[in-house]
Amino acid sequence: MSFITRTLKPATALARSTRLASRFYASEATGAAAGKLVVNFALPHQSVMTSQEVNQVDLSAVSGDLGILADHVPTIEQLKPGVIDFISDSGSQKYFVSGGFAIMNPNSVLNINAIEAFKLEDIDAQAVATNLAESQRLASSAKDDITKEAAAIEIELYESLQSALLGKSK
Amino acid sequence: MTFAWRTVGMNYLQYSSIAARALRRTAKPELQSEIAKREGMAIKVAKWEAGKSGMPAPASVIETRTVAEN
Repeated sequence: MSFITRTLKPATALARSTRLASRFYASEATGAAAGKLVVNFALPHQSVMTSQEVNQVDLSAVSGDLGILADHVPTIEQLKPGVIDFISDSGSQKYFVSGGFAIMNPNSVLNINAIEAFKLEDIDAQAVATNLAESQRLASSAKDDITKEAAAIEIELYESLQSALLGKSK
Repeated sequence: MTFAWRTVGMNYLQYSSIAARALRRTAKPELQSEIAKREGMAIKVAKWEAGKSGMPAPASVIETRTVAEN
């Protein structure tokens, strides 16, 4: 008798979970409000956003620019140095990140990891111009490939930052 | 698709730290003291030879700005 119940338990548990999965959308099952993304945005030294509900996230990935909405297909994207725009009912919040990864999960949870991120208003435009000139000087005077490539990485970041700052002031 | 930094012999850690350092330099002056605390988290390696320690230097950091001598 007990043998039968032991073998039956796993089977009914499986049947129960399959029925649940076929009845609800993933976002409803986890508690994310319908049509909302749940964002976790973390840096090594700071948790910028934890379980924050937004409507849309625009980011710049190596594979192209993405606009992520709730129930987006799960994906892992490597981020380019660029602006991440968090759009919610209260408006849009922009951060410039140095790079990182965005991981979209099946339950409308979006995890973004970056090493450095600043709001655009925390960036000093003059410092960007000065550093861009410095990196360009380094690129032309560098003798080895690695230093040249390091300078090219910085130039790409500073140019992207400059256009982000200009776009904001429009 | 291979990245340019990969073909010259850089790894992702070096690439991402170059980008992070570049971005830190552009933050407003009021935030720079907070940032200075972060930058100090490098691993320092001191080479010992014949019982004498060499200068501790940050390991495998690609410098793009000349570091001021202490």
